Amino acid sequence: MDGYYTWMLVSASLVLLMTTPGLALFYGGMSRSTSVLNMMMMSLTALGVVGIVYVLWGWSMSYASSIPDAAGHTGAQIGMLFANPFSQFGLEGTDAHDYVFVAFQLTFAVITAALVSGALADRVRLSAWLVFLPIWVTLSYFPLAHMVWGGGFLSGVENGLAELVFGGGGGAAVAPIDYAGGTVVHINAGVAGLVLAVLVGKRLGFGREPVKPHNLTLTMIGAGLLWFGWFGFNVGSIVLTGATEQAKVDQFLTETGLVWVNTTVATCAAMLGWLLVEHLRDGKATSLGAASGVVAGLVAVTPACGALSPLGAIVLGAAAGVLCALAVGLKYRFGYDDSLDVVGVHLVGGLVGTVGVGFLATSGGLLYGDGLRQLVVQLLVALFAMTWSAVATLLVGLLVRVLVGWRIDEEAEVDGIDFAEHGETAYDLTATPTGRLTRNVGVTQLTGASRDRNT
Amino acid sequence: MTHVDAGDTAWLLTAAALVLLMAPGLALFYGGMVRSKAVLNMMMMTVGALAVILVVWVLFGYSLAFGDDLAGGLLGNPLQYAGLQSLLSSQADSWLTVPVILFAAFQGLFAVITGALVSGAVADRARFGAWLVFIAAWAVLVYAPVAHWVFDLDRDGHSGGWLVNKVGLVDFAGGTAVEICSGASALALALVVGTRVGFGKDPMRPHNLTLVMLGAGLLWFGWFGFNAGSALGANHSAAVVFVTTLCAGAAGSLGWLALERVRDGHATTLGAASGMVAGLVAITPSCGSVSPLGALVVGAAAGVVCALAVGLKYRWGYDDSLDVVGVHLVGGLVGTLAIGLLATAAAPTGVDGLFYGGGAGQLGRQAVGAGVVLVYAFTVSLLIARAVDRLMAFRVDEEHEITGIDLVIHAETAYDLHGASGARTGDFTLPKATEGPFRATDRRSID
Repeated sequence: MDGYYTWMLVSASLVLLMTTPGLALFYGGMSRSTSVLNMMMMSLTALGVVGIVYVLWGWSMSYASSIPDAAGHTGAQIGMLFANPFSQFGLEGTDAHDYVFVAFQLTFAVITAALVSGALADRVRLSAWLVFLPIWVTLSYFPLAHMVWGGGFLSGVENGLAELVFGGGGGAAVAPIDYAGGTVVHINAGVAGLVLAVLVGKRLGFGREPVKPHNLTLTMIGAGLLWFGWFGFNVGSIVLTGATEQAKVDQFLTETGLVWVNTTVATCAAMLGWLLVEHLRDGKATSLGAASGVVAGLVAVTPACGALSPLGAIVLGAAAGVLCALAVGLKYRFGYDDSLDVVGVHLVGGLVGTVGVGFLATSGGLLYGDGLRQLVVQLLVALFAMTWSAVATLLVGLLVRVLVGWRIDEEAEVDGIDFAEHGETAYDLTATPTGRLTRNVGVTQLTGASRDRNT
Repeated sequence: MTHVDAGDTAWLLTAAALVLLMAPGLALFYGGMVRSKAVLNMMMMTVGALAVILVVWVLFGYSLAFGDDLAGGLLGNPLQYAGLQSLLSSQADSWLTVPVILFAAFQGLFAVITGALVSGAVADRARFGAWLVFIAAWAVLVYAPVAHWVFDLDRDGHSGGWLVNKVGLVDFAGGTAVEICSGASALALALVVGTRVGFGKDPMRPHNLTLVMLGAGLLWFGWFGFNAGSALGANHSAAVVFVTTLCAGAAGSLGWLALERVRDGHATTLGAASGMVAGLVAITPSCGSVSPLGALVVGAAAGVVCALAVGLKYRWGYDDSLDVVGVHLVGGLVGTLAIGLLATAAAPTGVDGLFYGGGAGQLGRQAVGAGVVLVYAFTVSLLIARAVDRLMAFRVDEEHEITGIDLVIHAETAYDLHGASGARTGDFTLPKATEGPFRATDRRSID
């Protein structure tokens, strides 16, 4: 399966591209020109911190009980919630053939943490963010990753949530479906964003002064790179289950194509859905709406991409585009400053996808005549993940508030966090000579003139 | 004898494309760091290096680097694969699990990146024509021989370069041939070309840090092709290299930021991007010979040391404008020497360093390799740059440099944002674009 290895190496690189520069640009363009650097720094430092934490104990805490080390030992599982963080600490003893899987999973942890930063634009101290990151992934991300993908409470194993509800004996009769991270990544990041937005408080002037995106071209580049990277995220999430080599090859050759197509059509539908809402509601289809719709569709199809037909993916994507476009307005009604719509897009989109599977799965979905059981399982899993993430984030958020304090000074916030926190500003365009050549003015004349203007 | 493997070939095709993506990545990374009047020239130097070096490489550069050795492991036979003609036949594919012509393209892109890196030393002031001549001569006289010494392995019926085969240098993806070589060449070029007008006196702030971040992200993405692709197959040594590359980039970023926070009180975006690159530079030679924990140490060390080293240009007065010396030369030295200390036989290369009980021998071999490449690249680049300067003058006029090299050399400017907000300041008004006979974006007006 050299081809599988190749694809996993490419996929891990693609997911890394989603965080930096994809998400950094997407968020950076949406913030103000005085806080774009801070926004990008939150993504970049998420990569720095979570990348290291993942190698130290993240991998072990997520997978040590289900994936044996090179010597064949598995670590202990603690209450079906997480695995022993120390049994493969620092990847000691990890089977070398699993490194590519470590790399791929590492990039997932990174982007989940980076997504949360969208709720914190313009106003959070870098030191608070740096303290938050390692504790949050330890209490929220790694346990959820273990529960959903590492044979824990939210997977289809014996004594798991699904088996406790509908039975099965030695494994759930109706296993939960989360192909690439609707619960672990998107619901988790969305809930964390909501909790932190409430805990940290609003930006000055939130809801009164318009806060326009300062550079929508950056947002468009970011959205494009996110979409490109998402093929690694979804299509790379294939788990080969076949008993024989030939069965694995067959699964790889058939499943990857379906997931790619589903990921694409759902995203197309979501973009159109979002634009339609905007057009009907506001009279204009905006570029910010198109970029947001793209992300909403990708989020929603993440848990579902392996369980749908392409037609089902179109329905799911359109639903996500419409519902998320409506949901981003809630922050003004309820007064939480989810600055760049982590809640509206990732929590709502993640719920649409996770619950939508219960309706649209070609095997087990309500609309395919297979009854309510899958839907109930998906709902329960989503609720459990939301609760876990909310409690964990609240604990970490309060801890950070006590230890370092979240907010920068009001004065620094008004002046712009980039200069206050980083001593930099993003742009210095004053020195650009005015580049208009006319037939009568030669280069030398013009350059002389523009120098005078500059001096 | 092996056969061509579909999975390995798929990975190397992807990896080569990833390394190519590092060229626009570098253009954005460098372009954002210069002033707004010189961003286009900065990007053009990367694009120019891409074009010139690939042509040279196909004609005879690849043969110089990977042809049968002529004498003493110093240089390959320049006619053996001239025009890559003899690689068209599938008979050539006997010593790799990928087509050899793909290997030649992959290595050619390494030459491109190395050459493009050098341009960071001459921001804002080098004539474009002089740059193209310099980089063509440099590819032949500096890069191709060094690549032969470091990358061309002996095999049945083929003798390769001396550093890798006779000295026993370990350099997985180019700490010496790429990083030290580009850093030392950049130092020589900076000395010949001289400092920018106002260097050390006027502030020369990066004009667009969002471009720098975009470039840094693309560089890291491309670096997976660079490092993991150097495994020349989709196998578990590629996976190990992938993980160590991740670790070192993250640790380098944090190391640089920590130093900035302690020294200046601010953790800057530019520092995060530079630290990331420093960590990646240092892991380039060592990615196949250290453990993930070792990679964290290498990355963090590079982040801290390079952050200190970029200040040297002000002390010694060489205008290494975008820190090619501070990041690539110093980071390359950190990574290359670190192998002598931190290498572990458990990693794919299978060599033990000093700290893993392998003795000081490997450290000595690494020091020889690093020193030889440093001295050779510096000396020859100095001679080429002097010759080009005498032949056609390397610098633009002082007046033109102050005006902005973009407008003078390329007759373009990067930005026209006056219409964006309607909030123009200043006491002059521009003619409406439609009124003037020509606009700056209209190429014909230049001729």
